[in-house]
Amino acid sequence: MAEQTASTMDFNLDGAPVQEETATIERCLSFQVDDLVLFLSTNYIVEIVNDYPITPLPMVPSFVKGMINLRGQILPVLDIRLCMDKPPAEYTGKTCILRLDLDGVPLCIIVDSVCQVLDVNLQSVRPIPVKRQQKLLNGMIDLGNGNVIMSFDCNVLLEKRY
Amino acid sequence: MDNGMEAMLETYLYETNSLLDALDELLVNDEKIGDFSSDDVNEIFRSMHTIKGSSAMMEFNSLSTIAHHIEDLFFYIRDKGIESLDPEHKKELFNLMFRSGDYLRSEVQKVENGTPLSQDQEIDSFANEINAFLKKISNTQSDASEESSEQSSDSSSSASADTVAGLPHDTEAACFIRLFLDEGMGMENLYAFMITNALQEEEFVFRCYPEDVETNPDTSAEIVENGFFLAFDSQDMAAQAEDALKGQAHIRSYERLDNPSKKAASAKKTSDKAPETSAPADTAPASKPAVPAPTPKPAETKAPVTPVAAAPAKAHAPVKQSLISVNVAKLDSLLDIVGELVITESMVTSAPELNQLSRDSFDNFMKSARQLRKLTDDLQDIAMSLRMVPISGVFQKMNRIVRDMKQKLNKDVHLIIEGENTEMDKNIVDSIQDPIMHIVRNSMDHGIEETAEERIRAGKDPQGELILSATHTSSEVVISVTDDGYGMDPDKLLAKAADKGLLTKPASEYTKKEALNLIMLPGFSTNKAVTEYSGRGVGMDVVKKNIESVGGTFSIDSELGAGTTVTMRIPLTLAIMDGMKVTVGKSIFTIPIANIRQSLKVTSDQVIYDDYGNEMMELMGAFYPIIRLHRFFSLETDITNLDEGILMWVEANDHSYCIFVDQLIGEQQVVVKPFPTYLNSFDLKNYGINGCTILGDGSISIILDVFGLHSAVIDEK
Repeated sequence: MAEQTASTMDFNLDGAPVQEETATIERCLSFQVDDLVLFLSTNYIVEIVNDYPITPLPMVPSFVKGMINLRGQILPVLDIRLCMDKPPAEYTGKTCILRLDLDGVPLCIIVDSVCQVLDVNLQSVRPIPVKRQQKLLNGMIDLGNGNVIMSFDCNVLLEKRY
Repeated sequence: MDNGMEAMLETYLYETNSLLDALDELLVNDEKIGDFSSDDVNEIFRSMHTIKGSSAMMEFNSLSTIAHHIEDLFFYIRDKGIESLDPEHKKELFNLMFRSGDYLRSEVQKVENGTPLSQDQEIDSFANEINAFLKKISNTQSDASEESSEQSSDSSSSASADTVAGLPHDTEAACFIRLFLDEGMGMENLYAFMITNALQEEEFVFRCYPEDVETNPDTSAEIVENGFFLAFDSQDMAAQAEDALKGQAHIRSYERLDNPSKKAASAKKTSDKAPETSAPADTAPASKPAVPAPTPKPAETKAPVTPVAAAPAKAHAPVKQSLISVNVAKLDSLLDIVGELVITESMVTSAPELNQLSRDSFDNFMKSARQLRKLTDDLQDIAMSLRMVPISGVFQKMNRIVRDMKQKLNKDVHLIIEGENTEMDKNIVDSIQDPIMHIVRNSMDHGIEETAEERIRAGKDPQGELILSATHTSSEVVISVTDDGYGMDPDKLLAKAADKGLLTKPASEYTKKEALNLIMLPGFSTNKAVTEYSGRGVGMDVVKKNIESVGGTFSIDSELGAGTTVTMRIPLTLAIMDGMKVTVGKSIFTIPIANIRQSLKVTSDQVIYDDYGNEMMELMGAFYPIIRLHRFFSLETDITNLDEGILMWVEANDHSYCIFVDQLIGEQQVVVKPFPTYLNSFDLKNYGINGCTILGDGSISIILDVFGLHSAVIDEK
């Protein structure tokens, strides 16, 4: 199984779906938020855009940055940094907006930067062993080269438990 | 299922549903009189025949069987004349028909949802009930009725003579295709018709024999015996049709036969064929008059029954005018495009570049621009009106609910319907049906007194009254449900809410209105017992949510002992409105023009303060509060001094106040878009934010809800 060598470096998000017999392998996008590297299944990701004007919205928690008009569709934008209670950062050229589709609910999240697309064997994802307040992460995996990345649980965004 | 099948299914569902709706309405109306007119009997008979036929075609066995039995029943009634039934039977017949209608509807719903239909057993038990009734009415007249139930199934008595011999007589045809259908299916004629339809859709030119397969069930036997013939004018066409036939279901075998009786006629040019094909039935040899459906004594029936296909839902339904059905999605996209067009138009006509034109050409331009404006306005009005449907469909359904509940609860209630022709956006009509139904049920169940004696003791008419009314105002439709029953007791409501721990402040501090609004809280139900219709305590909160989801508001007014009125105010359409753009800091807000009374510049010394430091303005002799948008929404702006900004004097639902904003940008028509789903949980509506819109430059503007803002700021204080 060549796919288990886990680091295809292309950014082809709508690449061929992972085949049936390798069901535990999931194509994921890894991205950086503050000092953490997170990954999220590309099944949830519709597209990556950067540098979009965000219209702020009053009367919402600070992590809701506002809305963007993406080709006629109005989408809410959340800043993951603020969701995780990290200090806010200036948006730069590397800042990306990931447009997600969470079971039909469209949503955009802001991350510091996007790293790469890689194949993750979900079976080797381990739970995070410490008791935490942080609920947006639900696992971690050692990529083998000393890099540990965290699994980002995007469905929590809808439940607003963070 | 291929595409053709899906399109057929869609047509089938539409047709069947409208027939059932019409049936319901007809029954409710007739029951009020307590009698069927003979026209109505015919109408029911025809509807059932259509449903039977199309259901069989779609292979929905349960529907076709039941419809078939009802058809039999009404065939008998039509034959004997409705006058022959005594009142007792008529009453029973009404109940039976209501239940049949419901049964058919539930089956259709199963089809819609893709769940499996009822099995034979269930069908049989219901069918037996219908048959039992048929027996009963026929026995009382000591009349042999068996024939009627048999008649409609196949009897080849009237099979046309010249087709029995095998090949039909058709001198035009170059060749025939002879089809044999799968054995033992029943309703062969309809399958044959289905095949001809499919071929016609692919634009094949042909005639078929027997030709009246759609309307004459007797042809089934013929088709089984001799096969079903398709006559083609050219060999080529026949060969192509053969290919097409391969894709059709239920064909056992087919063969191509040359036409021995073909004459020189084949030399005729195709120009002759065109008119022929438009009415294939007419050109075929006149073998016999097309007798539709089982009518053994056609001379006696009043007016020849029209071919079934033409029967669906005409007359009888004031709801349905001459209609074409259009996919709602198409209308939606039309409306979207018109919306964008209107906005683009105003972008063009207000482009700053226009100032560079010379005076003359600018005048000319403005002349054309005004013309364009007029046209786009008209276009917009028409596009909007396309989506408007009268609310009568929903009201008629309430008629039925009231009727059912009247019987079940044994209450005598008179339903008055007002303004049923009020038109509303289709989407809105669809989404308010459930809320209205719920309110009507509540009124019937809890509102109206249990017994007539109780009403008489309270000094009321023994017959309860329920008024369902719809009226237009300039921008909204007001729907109200009024009953003259018990009315609600605020103290009881408060006690109940206290029981359930729903109170948020001491009971003594609740106003009457607030107390009444308690019933809209989740988990609140005043009825002690749960009934079939209501009392589970899920309800008014859901109703409120539903109404709010279409941008409406919901209010309850009740006088103890005199009755309750529930009023829903629903915007005519959510799609397009005139808005005034204003800025606060970096944000652009849109205020609906309809709400704006005036915009004004003020100086600080005109402002009046109360003891809490709330700002107020005196305008035309009355005092109005000032809401600073930047303060309420916590927006950053440099303009905090009343001298520098501008006041918008607004008004909504009898509340009038001033909004302080930085700057006025101008007027624009905007397409209202709802907030993304994710944001719904933040209850922005409660903060006076109604939706958003995309401005000409692609930026997003937030639309203020003037009434909501007032409630949020002033009432919360």
